[in-house]
Amino acid sequence: MRSLRLGAALLAASALALATELPSYQVRLTAARDGSARATATVLVGHCPAGLLVLPLGFSAPEDLKLEEAPPGTRLELGARDTVSTLRFQLPTALDAPVALRFSFLVKQPLQALKTAPGEKGALPAGSRLFRHGFVNTQETPIGVYRLEFLFPEGLIAQAVREQLPKLEKQETGPRVLLSVLDGQQAATLTYANVHQGDATSMAVELVPRQRSLGWLLAGVILAGLYLFYFRDLVAKKAS
Amino acid sequence: MEKMTLSSKTREAQSANERWMRYLGFPGGILLFLVILYLPAGAGASASAQAGAACFALALVWWVTEPFPTYVTSLVLMFLLLVTRTSNAKAIMDVLGMEVIWLNLLAFILSSMLVKTRLAKRMALWLVLRFGHKASWALLAFVVLQLVLAPLIPATAARCVMTLPLMIVVATIYGSTEATPNNFGKNMMLLNLGCISVLSSVTMTGSSANLIAVGLIQNMGGHRVYYMDWMMLGAPVAIVTMLLMWILGQKLLFRIKPEEQVPQLEGGLGLVREQYESMGPLSFQEKKAIAIFGMVLFLWMTDIFHMRWFGVEISAPFAALLGAVVVLFPRWGILSWAEADIPWHLLIFSAGAYAGGLALDDTGAAEWGVRMLFGGMNLKGVPFGFTYTVVIAVMMYSHLLTTSKTVRTLIMIPIIITMAKALGWNPVSLALPAALCIDWVVGLPISGKPNVILFSTNQFTVGDNFKHGMLTCTIGVIILVLSGATWFHWLGITPAFWAVAP
Repeated sequence: MRSLRLGAALLAASALALATELPSYQVRLTAARDGSARATATVLVGHCPAGLLVLPLGFSAPEDLKLEEAPPGTRLELGARDTVSTLRFQLPTALDAPVALRFSFLVKQPLQALKTAPGEKGALPAGSRLFRHGFVNTQETPIGVYRLEFLFPEGLIAQAVREQLPKLEKQETGPRVLLSVLDGQQAATLTYANVHQGDATSMAVELVPRQRSLGWLLAGVILAGLYLFYFRDLVAKKAS
Repeated sequence: MEKMTLSSKTREAQSANERWMRYLGFPGGILLFLVILYLPAGAGASASAQAGAACFALALVWWVTEPFPTYVTSLVLMFLLLVTRTSNAKAIMDVLGMEVIWLNLLAFILSSMLVKTRLAKRMALWLVLRFGHKASWALLAFVVLQLVLAPLIPATAARCVMTLPLMIVVATIYGSTEATPNNFGKNMMLLNLGCISVLSSVTMTGSSANLIAVGLIQNMGGHRVYYMDWMMLGAPVAIVTMLLMWILGQKLLFRIKPEEQVPQLEGGLGLVREQYESMGPLSFQEKKAIAIFGMVLFLWMTDIFHMRWFGVEISAPFAALLGAVVVLFPRWGILSWAEADIPWHLLIFSAGAYAGGLALDDTGAAEWGVRMLFGGMNLKGVPFGFTYTVVIAVMMYSHLLTTSKTVRTLIMIPIIITMAKALGWNPVSLALPAALCIDWVVGLPISGKPNVILFSTNQFTVGDNFKHGMLTCTIGVIILVLSGATWFHWLGITPAFWAVAP
């Protein structure tokens, strides 16, 4: 009889766990000129039982974690920090209707300048910065849509999207990483739908100074001038 | 008629206007490059996309105005793509190994075989004797030939390779050679270019991009398109357009003078008949050439069965490669390597052009351009006919931005389906007519594989190609719009043109 009750309780618990729904998980990372960045994340939670809700986080060492919006009594703390960060929400009551959990955190130096050892070939030119982001759903609950919006710091533009994974499925419409303008700043948005446990997505964007070198203008004017001078016989009237 | 050599010498400027174009084309290209490069960065475009567009624009101006031979421009473009960080060295160099370049190379080996054995001459003389009492009828014969081949051989490049020697020899008979091209040659090459591409839209199996569009319409739009649905819509549009181009090409764009309407060989048709009769019965070498070409043709036509038969698909270039192996085989073959006329300068032109086109695709410049075109228009609440016309025009002319039909289909069709849903129209009413434009890649020598191959004949310039291609596309847009208002509406594909979505 006791084992029967235990089995029933386990079944009920797993049914409740299965019922957890995460229709969307959206992170907006706004980079500042000094190199730091503040992320604001909104997770839309559908049905969810009371107690612990663990969510994966695509940043390895977030700081200054703050819960901005959640049902009263909800607590948030950072989970394991060995390889992947997780967020641990303690929900005081079960959620029956969709609720937004909003939180923010600080990301130190999201932009990297690739350093090269003396004598080694450089991978990026001086002034280029690389932004990398990876996200893995380490939890059982599938995520409807994962979206990361990265707003570039002022004065930098995207040179190229260097990585956008996974490749688009046939039924998906692309691109995986879309460049656009958000709140007046150039931004790259990574979107990945139906993220099941173990699914991973990543992007790498190379940023360069907005101002282009005037070398092109100089070279162009000189070449055009030289051509017009040395090839003027093309249109010169032939001596009769 | 016995030779098919394509020289790398720069074509002489024909008129004062052309000399001025050459003179000003160089700084003009640089100016356009600088303007695009220094434009404020677009919202959805990366710096590499902007640089790619600038490089491509420069090359386009130089290809059209020809301050340098086209292959030198291609080399400049490849270097610019590297130094502007649009593409990396590997991506640029790998282009020379692309399928289209290989097919081009192998096509010239097979063509050399047909020329050396005089089989091409025999077929061309027969064609001229049968249909070529007037240049117009010889051109029409090629329209019919391409229409027959289109459903049999889906690979456009293969169709082009097959018919290229015939085109060259018939053009020669009408006085158009690589050294002295005339308007008949331009009509011949450009009409065939149009037919090879446009007539692929007669059936949904005409190209793999058509099938991708059908899949997208089914998966995203929820409407299944059957073979006959496509054919009833696509065939009349494609065939009527090409018949109109047959007339307009020779009457409007590149007028064939009355004296050019007859074979330009001294002695006229009498000499053609005399030459044909003097060739006597088929020689052993000609029979061998027929057998080799027949084998390649058989492999091209049966590609859908290869996996079942051989456990591997022998694609069009590999079928041609097998043909080349037999052709070049010592003792049993037909040609020695030295006898194969391979125009390397044209392969270099193709490689550079493809590197530029691929850079537009890879950097997202093409996709960005299309999104800007659609995104800049508010089509909510306007009559269906207006939206339809805009969609058809954008789809038709967008081929100038990309070198891949597949990429263009994957970018455009989902956008059109999503837009149709947002505007309240049945997705198929816009997406299916738009899909009929997929194969109309006729505007530039780099727009498709047949274009690259035919440009290598040196019978027309980039400007000629652009003029002919734009007229073809414009006629296509007009016919598609008229069909959308009538024929497609009667078939239940499109709503009334003046209807406004609820």
